[in-house]
Amino acid sequence: MANYLAQFQSIKSSCDHLVISVEDVSDLWHIVKSGFEERLPFKRACLNNKTRNLVYVESLPAEFILTTDIRLRSRFPQELSLFWFREPYATVVLVTCEDLDEFKTILKPRLKLIVQNDEREYFIVFVSKAQPNNDQATKLAKKIYAKLEVDFNSKKRERCCKLDIHGPDANFWEDLDSKIMESIRNTLDRRVQFYEDEIRKLSEQRFMPVWNFCNFFILKESLAFMFEMTHLHEDSLREYDELELCYLETVNATGMKRRDFGGLERGDDQAALVKPDYKPLSQIVQDDSFREFEFRQYLFACQSKLLLKLDRPVEVASRGYSFIISFSKALALHENTLPFCMREVWVITACLALINVTTSHYNDGVLAPDVEKEFYRLQGDLYSLSRVKLMRLAYLIGYGMDIERSPVNSAALSMLPWPKPAVWPSFPPDASNEVLAKEKKILQANTRPKHFGIHRKPLPLEPSLLLREANRRRASLSAGNMFELSPSFAEGLSLDALRTPPPNKIPASSMSRTNSSPGNFEGSLDRPMRISEIHVAAEHALQHTISDPDLWKCLSSVQNFEQKYLDLTKGAADNYHHSWWKRHGVVLDGEIAAVYHKHGNFDLAAKSYEKVCALYSGEGWQDLLAEVLPNLAECQKILNDEAGYLSSCVKLLSLDKGLFLTKERQSFQSEVVRLAHSEMKHPVPLDVSSLITFSGNPGPPLELCDGDPGTLSVTVWSGFPDDITLESLSLTLAATYSADEGVKAITRSTATILNPGKNNIFLALPPQKPGSYVLGVLTGQIGNLRFRSHSFSKGGPADTDDFMSYEKPTRPILKVFKPRPLVDLNAAISSALLMNEPQWIGIIVRPIYYSLKGAVLHIDTGPGLKIVDTHVIEIESYTKVLQTSTQNTVDDRNSVSAATKEFTQLTLNDGKIQLPDWANETTSVLWFPVLASDKRLARGTSSVAPQKQSIVDGMRTIALKLEFGISHNQTFERTVAVHFTDPFHVSTRVADKCKDGALLLQVTLHSQVKATLTILDTWLDLQPGFVHTGHDDGRPSSSILPLIISPSSRAGILFGIRLGSATTGDEAEALEQGSILNIKYAISGNRTIGAHAPVDGESSASEGNELGLLFRSALVLQRPVLDPCLSVGFLPLPSGGLKVGQLISMRWRVERLKDLEEHAVSPDNDEVLYEVNANSENWMLAGRKKGHISLPIKQGSRIVISIICVPLVAGYVHPPQFKLPKVDEANISCNPAGPHLVCVLPPTLSSSFCIPS
Amino acid sequence: MIVCIAVVGHQNNPLYLQSFTEADDALKLHHIVHCSLDVIDERVNNPKKTGPTLNETFLGLLYPTENYKVYGYLTNTKVKFILVTTDLDVRDADVRNFFRRFHSAYVDAVSNPFHVPGKKITSRTFAERVSTIVKSFGLSTAV
Repeated sequence: MANYLAQFQSIKSSCDHLVISVEDVSDLWHIVKSGFEERLPFKRACLNNKTRNLVYVESLPAEFILTTDIRLRSRFPQELSLFWFREPYATVVLVTCEDLDEFKTILKPRLKLIVQNDEREYFIVFVSKAQPNNDQATKLAKKIYAKLEVDFNSKKRERCCKLDIHGPDANFWEDLDSKIMESIRNTLDRRVQFYEDEIRKLSEQRFMPVWNFCNFFILKESLAFMFEMTHLHEDSLREYDELELCYLETVNATGMKRRDFGGLERGDDQAALVKPDYKPLSQIVQDDSFREFEFRQYLFACQSKLLLKLDRPVEVASRGYSFIISFSKALALHENTLPFCMREVWVITACLALINVTTSHYNDGVLAPDVEKEFYRLQGDLYSLSRVKLMRLAYLIGYGMDIERSPVNSAALSMLPWPKPAVWPSFPPDASNEVLAKEKKILQANTRPKHFGIHRKPLPLEPSLLLREANRRRASLSAGNMFELSPSFAEGLSLDALRTPPPNKIPASSMSRTNSSPGNFEGSLDRPMRISEIHVAAEHALQHTISDPDLWKCLSSVQNFEQKYLDLTKGAADNYHHSWWKRHGVVLDGEIAAVYHKHGNFDLAAKSYEKVCALYSGEGWQDLLAEVLPNLAECQKILNDEAGYLSSCVKLLSLDKGLFLTKERQSFQSEVVRLAHSEMKHPVPLDVSSLITFSGNPGPPLELCDGDPGTLSVTVWSGFPDDITLESLSLTLAATYSADEGVKAITRSTATILNPGKNNIFLALPPQKPGSYVLGVLTGQIGNLRFRSHSFSKGGPADTDDFMSYEKPTRPILKVFKPRPLVDLNAAISSALLMNEPQWIGIIVRPIYYSLKGAVLHIDTGPGLKIVDTHVIEIESYTKVLQTSTQNTVDDRNSVSAATKEFTQLTLNDGKIQLPDWANETTSVLWFPVLASDKRLARGTSSVAPQKQSIVDGMRTIALKLEFGISHNQTFERTVAVHFTDPFHVSTRVADKCKDGALLLQVTLHSQVKATLTILDTWLDLQPGFVHTGHDDGRPSSSILPLIISPSSRAGILFGIRLGSATTGDEAEALEQGSILNIKYAISGNRTIGAHAPVDGESSASEGNELGLLFRSALVLQRPVLDPCLSVGFLPLPSGGLKVGQLISMRWRVERLKDLEEHAVSPDNDEVLYEVNANSENWMLAGRKKGHISLPIKQGSRIVISIICVPLVAGYVHPPQFKLPKVDEANISCNPAGPHLVCVLPPTLSSSFCIPS
Repeated sequence: MIVCIAVVGHQNNPLYLQSFTEADDALKLHHIVHCSLDVIDERVNNPKKTGPTLNETFLGLLYPTENYKVYGYLTNTKVKFILVTTDLDVRDADVRNFFRRFHSAYVDAVSNPFHVPGKKITSRTFAERVSTIVKSFGLSTAV
């Protein structure tokens, strides 16, 4: 059957659609042909697939062929069954008849003959030519058609339909379609059944020796082809898949005899993945099967063709990629028979072919997004596979120097084994010029030094040394693996060694091994090849292998190779960018960048490198980043991109320390510093977060009171390899809980030198608002450059692994407390002090958990108070004061040694006192002497009418201001009120009035102070008008003195006084001046309680006690108001009453009540001056209105003075007034007083009086 | 032969990478591991593909390349283990077993209170244990 292969091939190529035969019985085809062919191709054809499920084929091409056509004739019966797929799938019998008899006699038998002939699917189309208006013809046609139906229709199947040429044909064409389709479907089913049966039969014999794969193949492919013709591509594809499986089974079956693999013909190196008819099958047949190389490609090509017809380019790509991989493995198995590097070349061409065919069939945007991504990924894979193979070929022919030794290329190439030809291609004899050229190139090629003087061992691009591998493969022919025996030799021939070829070394080292390979070394054939020779040999061999001129052109020169390499890399990268595999894309961008970089296209290179670096640094792949970043930096430097270059240098510095040598890191730093100090056109802020990190010191945060400055200690880690000078440095503090607070910067303006590693830095902290603060951003300047570091406080040193460090919750570094009282100032005394005496005032200075170091107290006394600045000021511990005051209330402060730690004497400077250090933390009492002055004399009050004393009088204020805190930033102000008072309050009363005119004056002394007062002496200075009863100065008898008055108690002293003679004129003056009570007293009190002995008394206590203090209080004594000496009486008027014009005698009697001896100042004591005054309108007086009368000075002498008066006016009028002008009114007793008014009656009517009108 | 084993954190940052090649070419293994993250991402982000293996930690073969194989393993905390081997016929069961043992070693290493989560694993004990596991993997495939 294999002989039919050629024929099969030609049949397949000639027919690609279904055939429907037309049995034109009545010669009608030319009439209906156009109508029939209009139906082609069939729309929505309904067919059964292999599993007998209905499948709708959108468009089914077919052809109507007359049975008389030559194509349907002249077929051998054997062909008929084998190539059954090309036979007609339906037979249309075209008939017409206008006569019933003719039908019965001629047509019917003929039809019967046609349809009974075989099992052809047929149906009869009766064409009626009857005109629609010709009723008879129409009826006849109907009749004949009815007959036809009766004869040929069965119950199961209708095989007739009728076409009215002139009539309406509404239903006919649909009927025709369905009839044709039914026939095709049935035929197809039957043929599928047939092929399946055949195939099954053949499959059962598979393991028999007679089995022939070709036969199986023809049957299987016939079936597949039939499916393809009927557009059941899915089924067709399945058949091909099965065929492939079956083929692989036979190929891999053990025990099968070894067949030729194929692939040895010219042009085989170009993959025929998408070219099913690249080679006729008859050419690849071998024995009873096919050569693997061609046949597998053929099968794949058929599959891909069907997949493309199914519009599934993605599947083509995915199947293609795995096919290439698996086929490449197969090629590897047969590599020793194939031409040199056949495998690599095939893969390249296969990938490129697949890429071409899939992209041309690919419609963008039709597929689901994930399928689309998958497609691009596969494209990328294909590109990158071909790229790797191209690099391998290029390396073999000596372009290895131009391939970037990047991780990508190294990963791809160094794990890819060398080609394993049976014998490494030998060096062509006439190529010495090429060898020289290659050698020259090798010598010229010097590895480009990396920027910053970075030296790295280049990554390998070769799985093992090519020189060694090539020579081994050559030597294995004759000399065994002698290079493996002498590794030193191979190393001697390594790339580096070639630059200085050691001419003597080869023979020398080989001589020692000559025993294993006697004498063969000197022969030119088996002489170990030099690397340049290997390259030339490989180039020649490849030239033979590669049949595609385009591909060869790519390898013909370095430039062309680079171009192709760039194309492939770009293709891969672009496609990967569209897929899920972004990393692949970006990494390949880096490879493109490397090429640009090499050719000085720094702009593009930098752009691509940036992407790569962003990828690596974003995910923390520092090792890979360290490889690319120096390149980026170099590009940026060349492009004068200072900002980028700086940040690259900083990034380089912040990479793991192990990735670069110290020297290299130092050069990074020097670049940074150089740029920072240069005049940059556009100074950029520098982010050194990864390089300079900082944190507060471990332990509790610094705690400050509100308003206090402080010193913040911050730990700064420097990632620089050398010391670095920071021109300035500032840190922001961010309040943790209040968002509106914003951040405040604290600055250290002096230059700071950071050592590598940990540094402690102290920053002066100005007063902050209350709250808790965390460190914010570190900013500063290196040279002219501002830098920032955002890193928050980290627990550990910066060098651990600062990428991806998940931020710890930031720890507050500073707490500023809310304002609270830090100190309290209070007066230490509770009761009044002595007025007008220097007194100690105690101020309790109580620090409230706050140090008063360096505190200064300003004391400002108010009006009426001054500090006795001649005296020292004392300060002592408050606890001590408490002890003394509780134990012993008496003033024993002398026992306190001035030298003890907690007692200090201070002096006042401009109203300021510096507190001693020991008082920083403890409560202390500051004592300073003051003198409250009150110029007014204390006034005693009468106990009869007690006068309220105002407390305000004795109130004095002291304004205190304490400046304290670390930099005297805190102040505390308080005004302390101190009450001063006189020691006594004096009240007086006249205790008794003796008959002899002596008065007992009781003076009550109220103690006003909480101290014991001792009255040493007291006397009374009387005002004029009073005299002491005795002849002394009124001191009380000394037996009662000294008189001790306890606090808040009273004491009384009696003074005996009497009225003295007083001139009347002095009376008022004497009242004003008053009497003075002088009390000499001593005081014994504790200054912690209140009044105490005056400050001065301290120094001279003994004499002070003797001298005592003097208290003066004014007393006002008043002489008794009434002291009548003379009595004046108005003698009664006549009872008849007064009448106008009537003379009456008014009489006053003057009587001496007592002797006026004392008052007799004038010589005429016995004479009294009198005066009578009267209103002259009312009265007319007769007699002497004024005159002296003699009145003996003896008590009881009396005299009556009469004055004749005439009332002039009637009514109530004042009577005339009698006065004694020279006698004080107080000495005149006018009792009874003269009447206030007297009644004057009108005159009796009388002619003798005429009142002029 | 296993040439490389790597632990990659949930942010795709390398946590541990140990190569077992003699040559000084760890960088290319870095590259392979890094790029294979693409495949893991693709599988994890494509629910259609990971449908049946929803709770499966073993991701299987990531790269069907010609010369080496990359296997992946994804823990519940999205930490990835990546294995690069040059053995071209490796049984999945072996790899699963390897990863299981490696996982327990990893869990022990990160349970160390001195280990900072998300930082590189620097434990020497872990490295020793890993190399033991790697060696035994070679043995089991040889047998």
